[in-house]
Amino acid sequence: MPNDSQDIDLQEEAGAKFHRGSTLSIFGSDRNEDFIALLFALIVALGVYITVP
Amino acid sequence: MVYTKKHPALLIIGAIFLAVAVVVDQGMLDGILSVIDKKGKYAGEEIGMGYAFGILGLVIGAWHMWGSHKEGSADYYLSSVAGAMFILVIAMGVRWFGAPAVAVFSKSLGPVMGDKYLHKVLGLNYVVLGIIAGIIVVNVFRVPEWAENGVRLSRLGLKTGVILLGTLYSLAELQQLGKLSVVLVGFFVLGSVGLVLWMGARRNIPNSMGGVLSAGMGVCGVSATVASAPVVQAKSVEIAYTIGTILLWGVGMMFLFPIVGNILDLGYIQFGAWAGTGILNSAQVAGAALAYQPDGIETLKVAEIFNITRVLFLPIIVLWLALWYVRREETAEEKASINVGKVIFEKFPVFVLGFILMFALSSTGIFSPAQHYKGKYFDNNIKASKLLKDNQIAELTAEAGKVVKVDRKEALARLIENRKVMSREDDAVLRGLVNSRVLTKKANKVLKHAHKVTRKTAKKVKKFRQWITLLFAFGLTGLGMQITLSSMKQAGGQPLIIGGVVGTLKAVLSLIVIVLFVRETI
Repeated sequence: MPNDSQDIDLQEEAGAKFHRGSTLSIFGSDRNEDFIALLFALIVALGVYITVP
Repeated sequence: MVYTKKHPALLIIGAIFLAVAVVVDQGMLDGILSVIDKKGKYAGEEIGMGYAFGILGLVIGAWHMWGSHKEGSADYYLSSVAGAMFILVIAMGVRWFGAPAVAVFSKSLGPVMGDKYLHKVLGLNYVVLGIIAGIIVVNVFRVPEWAENGVRLSRLGLKTGVILLGTLYSLAELQQLGKLSVVLVGFFVLGSVGLVLWMGARRNIPNSMGGVLSAGMGVCGVSATVASAPVVQAKSVEIAYTIGTILLWGVGMMFLFPIVGNILDLGYIQFGAWAGTGILNSAQVAGAALAYQPDGIETLKVAEIFNITRVLFLPIIVLWLALWYVRREETAEEKASINVGKVIFEKFPVFVLGFILMFALSSTGIFSPAQHYKGKYFDNNIKASKLLKDNQIAELTAEAGKVVKVDRKEALARLIENRKVMSREDDAVLRGLVNSRVLTKKANKVLKHAHKVTRKTAKKVKKFRQWITLLFAFGLTGLGMQITLSSMKQAGGQPLIIGGVVGTLKAVLSLIVIVLFVRETI
């Protein structure tokens, strides 16, 4: 039973095998990707807050 | 395994970006831009992003081409730059040149619905055209090997975009919502999600497809679809199908709703509430509202209120889908031992919490005055030089007798007395007066001026909008590149059927509820 979208993609989208990540993401899990997105968004927010008057 | 390919593609893409920046900066494209981008809306982006992405592409492209690469995380993550830039060059090509060219062609055909042009009615903006461009690339040319790693970054772009979306809203604006709009929207959002899930199960579509379609049909548009996709493990083609179903449904309803509204002689508030509940895409809601009441903004305002209300339900729906999906996928023994708290902790997407965090930050007023909505806010602390002049006051005074409605009469009197718009409510009423064309063009010009000087745009929120646009353009073009014709065939026509049935039911039921319970107040 797949518990992670990464597994589902590997099983259902034939021909795609990845050493790391999946067909949908270069990250190891959804949660990792979420945290990177959050970090990126916070950097953008900080940048906008500091640089835009 | 070493992922970086020794290929000149990234160098070439960097050179393309740089070339765009230089030719626009030097005015060498003025001839073309004067046709497709008369107001120079994209010139800043073309120059700024052109230089930034150009230099980035050339530097990392040179490293890809001539550097030495060893197996490891630096090689793995930096190899994705080539694909990311490949998406960007297509997405920006669509945004800067493709979508404006389509708009020019559409305008040359003349309006097709009230004062709306074909590209507006069909929703052919850079988002949709970006997905189409991605689908064409993957199905006609295939994604090149050197770009494969980068294309897998598109979902990261979408998630970051959804988080930053929170900066466009504020609690103060949401607090103005009427109780009825919350109850009405809540009932139909939750009802639609439940119905799609139930129908999906009966018609045997995959749980991931049913889950993502339910969020799209229940809440609205791209953001809800993207936000719910990870918790139901939806694939690219399922996300694209959902967006397609929503847009297709919206196009039909944009034409049908005003006709039905006129037959039933619905009031402006009633129609705004109905369009805001029954049509899913924000732009199409606005289109239907304006088609119903081209000479005022009451309908549009109510429809907008319903749009904001939907945003409130996004975290609730994501939570529901997380629990639903786990229950559907688990075996009988596993179901018995499901720990709700554990599922929420493990499955609830952190980026949706990020959206709530940004919304909270935005509500404190650190990016813009706290009462803003999408970065626009009312502020009548203006310089004396911007107050209405004697001749402008005389213009309004001479025509004040033409105004019959009491609220409009009073707002106009306050404007004449103080030489500036006195409140946000007055501003809305006077905008309605302009749209109703009761006054002459000259007097309306004075009113528009009075509106403009008190309507401020927060620069920080404007910058956030640019970032969101960039991230969504990147993410959706990349998403398109993951949609092959065979995967579309695999998804079949069921989602369209379910979407159509649920959409029709929602439209009919909401119409009945609105006719019975909604009067001229919300």
